[in-house]
Amino acid sequence: MKKTDIDWPKITKIVQDYNSDPECLLMIMQDISDIYNYVPPEVIPVLVEKLGVSESLIYSVATFYKTISLEPRGKYIINVCTGTACHVRGAEKITHALAEELGIEEGQTTADGMFTLDAVRCVGACASGPVAMVNHDTHGALNRSSALEMLDQYRK
Amino acid sequence: MRNVTLAVNGKTVRCSAGTSLLDVCTAQGIDIPTLCHHPQLKPFGACRLCIVEDAKSGRIFASCVTPVAQDMEIQTHSERVVRHRRNIIRLIMAEHPESCLVCSKGNHCDLRKIAAQLGVGQTGLYPMHNYQGIEQANPFIIRDLTKCILCGKCIRADHELVAAGAIDYNHRGFDARPSTLFEQPLEKSECTFCGTCVSLCPTGALTMKNVRYVGAPQKEHESVCGFCAAGCAVSLGVTDGQVVEVTPSPRTDTVNGVTLCVRGHFAHDFLKSEHRLTSPMVKKDGEWTEISWTEALEILSQKLLSVKKEHGPRTIGFMGSSKCTNEENYLFQKIARSLLETNNIDNGGHLFGLPLAAQLDKRLGGRFRARPLKGLEQAEAIFVIGANPGNSVPVAGYHIKRAAQNGTPLIVADPLPTDLNRFAGLRLAVAPGRDLDMVNAISALLLEKKAYDASYTAENTTGFSFFRTGLSSISFERASKTTGLKLDRLEQAAEMIAGKKIAFVIGQGVLQQPKGQETLDAVVNLALITGSLENGASGIYILHRENNQLGALDMGCAPDGLPGRSSLSDEKARKTWASAWGSKMSPDPGLSLVQMIREADKGNLKALYIMGENPARSLPDPGFVKAALEKVDFLAVQDILMTETAQLADMILPGAVFAEKAGSFTNMEGRVQSFDPALPLPGAARPDWEILAMLAQKLGMDARYSEVRDIQKEIARLIPSYGEQYLASPVSWVKDAIQEDQPMAFTTPVCWDGEKPPAGFDFTAITGSVRLHLGSGTRTAQSSRIIAWDGRASIEMSPTDAASLGIEEGDAVRVVSQTGSMIGTAKLVFGFPEGLLRTPAGVAGHSLAGLLDISRTPGAVYSGCKSFPVNVEKSNET
Repeated sequence: MKKTDIDWPKITKIVQDYNSDPECLLMIMQDISDIYNYVPPEVIPVLVEKLGVSESLIYSVATFYKTISLEPRGKYIINVCTGTACHVRGAEKITHALAEELGIEEGQTTADGMFTLDAVRCVGACASGPVAMVNHDTHGALNRSSALEMLDQYRK
Repeated sequence: MRNVTLAVNGKTVRCSAGTSLLDVCTAQGIDIPTLCHHPQLKPFGACRLCIVEDAKSGRIFASCVTPVAQDMEIQTHSERVVRHRRNIIRLIMAEHPESCLVCSKGNHCDLRKIAAQLGVGQTGLYPMHNYQGIEQANPFIIRDLTKCILCGKCIRADHELVAAGAIDYNHRGFDARPSTLFEQPLEKSECTFCGTCVSLCPTGALTMKNVRYVGAPQKEHESVCGFCAAGCAVSLGVTDGQVVEVTPSPRTDTVNGVTLCVRGHFAHDFLKSEHRLTSPMVKKDGEWTEISWTEALEILSQKLLSVKKEHGPRTIGFMGSSKCTNEENYLFQKIARSLLETNNIDNGGHLFGLPLAAQLDKRLGGRFRARPLKGLEQAEAIFVIGANPGNSVPVAGYHIKRAAQNGTPLIVADPLPTDLNRFAGLRLAVAPGRDLDMVNAISALLLEKKAYDASYTAENTTGFSFFRTGLSSISFERASKTTGLKLDRLEQAAEMIAGKKIAFVIGQGVLQQPKGQETLDAVVNLALITGSLENGASGIYILHRENNQLGALDMGCAPDGLPGRSSLSDEKARKTWASAWGSKMSPDPGLSLVQMIREADKGNLKALYIMGENPARSLPDPGFVKAALEKVDFLAVQDILMTETAQLADMILPGAVFAEKAGSFTNMEGRVQSFDPALPLPGAARPDWEILAMLAQKLGMDARYSEVRDIQKEIARLIPSYGEQYLASPVSWVKDAIQEDQPMAFTTPVCWDGEKPPAGFDFTAITGSVRLHLGSGTRTAQSSRIIAWDGRASIEMSPTDAASLGIEEGDAVRVVSQTGSMIGTAKLVFGFPEGLLRTPAGVAGHSLAGLLDISRTPGAVYSGCKSFPVNVEKSNET
């Protein structure tokens, strides 16, 4: 995957929106993640400089929260819910189907940079399980074939 | 604060609300096991071993993070509590590898100790190890994180004590480990290898390198670190007469607490150097010949006396040592002044601004001599000027960083980026050597805004109106131009310190510049108008370089200074000392260290006695210095190592390092710390004071010194600022010597137009200390760990400059000055100012001394060597 070109004025704006407050590190990283779908490591020294935090803290926060990744992720991040309700309704099958179709394993990103497949514990939509989220869209009552159809919506 | 009454193991206890249960129990003498707790770290509650039970409610609390409550009935060792503790230890051990037999933590392992105390052997649980690779590429710390129990002490020490920010937890749950950014090895992180994490680690996860299989030291000796002026209290772990580890002293009232720096923690292996001198020697036909002490002292005393007789006392020079003890420096200058009647006495502190510190003491009228570093954490604002304490005096750096982390406004003025930048509220990238204009401009701004302490200046100072008039004519445009700082930056600085009591931290960036004295005067003026000197929480902190620089000054090891910081030109003081010693004393001002070399070059110095200094390495222009030393008829060098200077000597006297002798050091705070020998002497080497005592007797001194205590008694009797307290306690403070008739005076502000740089030089090099070495690196370069780490000197520069010269990171570069050149490795630093270079001092084999010109310091005081014009080019040499 090619190296991301970083829009520095945008990064600066994000940091400024939070008053360069180190307490807002997580929100800042989430906002950066919203642009690139991950936090490019190139921004770490800049965050260190602007927020006055240590680089190890940034790494600590980034590895603690599943929502932050330091590696490039796909344009669409598929989070298959593996919480109890979804699990008993066959979340595993959904994951397998998607993995097989995309040719990747859980946690990986497709070579074309389109999809990242991940599992999360619960997205709070237990009634409509098995559930998967693609970026901010929720897809409920999935089975193997509807999961694959779901992919097609994003492939356009 | 409100008081609370509770019962601990049936005993009624009263304590203030907010105290933790653990502290209450500990104060009752109850031993509660802990793995994550340390009194100098904030309570954390990670290990849960400190659980206690409240019999009333039946609840179990982690006592370290639970405050006391009224009417609690605490049981610390109930059957239930002990059972839970055992289970916690079993669970920790189920994750911990069973490698105790080969673990170098050995008997120091807290986990093993507590498991044994609780009677846990086999856990009876399924082992679940979290295997991690052993990391030991660096020469200081071995990280075996498989043994980590996630107590978080290393992380908290890194954040709370030394503020390095190198490590933090990664991931979560079972996978979590202390980690650097991207789990890189420590050497690729912000880690400074201070070793504080190693001292605190309760298991074998973090251990010192090069001490495996030595086991726990046979003996622990309290001592004082022999490197920088922080004077850290250390505990020397000794096995078979060798120091096998150095750890922070367990005492709690020390300057360093549980911290040390990479030098203190790891560089003391220089003590084992194979280049130690072990016998007195004389040079016969160019060959070193061992002789006995009797012969050596006979020759030495005869030579000194005959030179005195033939050429006069002014042709004899004495170089004392900023590394030797107070007692030795006292005796050394006493021999020089009272027996040989020469005032040509100086010490290595001369190169690191000691004359300016002496001047400062005079200006303050002998006030504010004790400046505890902990005061930095109570100051209302900190202003660091020309100092890089992270490298030069790391423990002072920790104090500053901690203060800034806790919200104290910090201004850092330095032409180059330092590791304080991250903590600074304001950075002033002042042009090299132009701090004078910066400080004056800030003073002028404060006066203009009437943001100064008028009542303090009126009551305690003189000359304020002159000072004010002098500053009123200052041109801010000019100051902005010369300092390279926009006016709004200066205004911001003034605003940050207005109305506050400020702690000024002054480093070699001020002391070694051409206008060092004037700049320091300007800082004092600023301190006076803000009333910053008055209490222990603020004032002026001079970052001295060597461990006993200040002590050498106190003991009179300076050309114009008598013991107790009194002046040679003061007739009364001179007479007092002459009568105390029962001898004559010449009123002639003596030669400074640099002047002695210059006189030696002219053939005017016939005999030179050097104790524990290495001018052939530490002074600029080593070629010139060596040639000058060769011209001295009789050169005696008393040292511990075969230094560059010792090689030129006619006679060598093997002295002892601090760990092998008794004495005291005075640190930069004015804290006088005594210590006893921990190691046997190598070969025929003798403690320096003993050599001097033998020489004094030989030269006809009446006083006899059969032990260090005899010298100490004399010092206590004759130097009031040391006095009885110094005899009575192993730790005392230098006392003020206030002369009431001398109020603190303002100096008239001076302007300086700067030096015109010679044509043809595009860069300005700034010499900077490096963390691994001290001073000129004579001792640190003998440490096997330091050598293993230290490659070529790094020349730091801006990536833009490097690009225009075709230089890439890691390239060999040659830095050329008017007098010489040095080779180093280019290090491109993000945000480094263009046109400047940082050239490191002290790196083994890559001395920058050759770049400097000794003629730059024509006066008595060595200065002006902080920055100088150079060119830099890519080099083909490897």
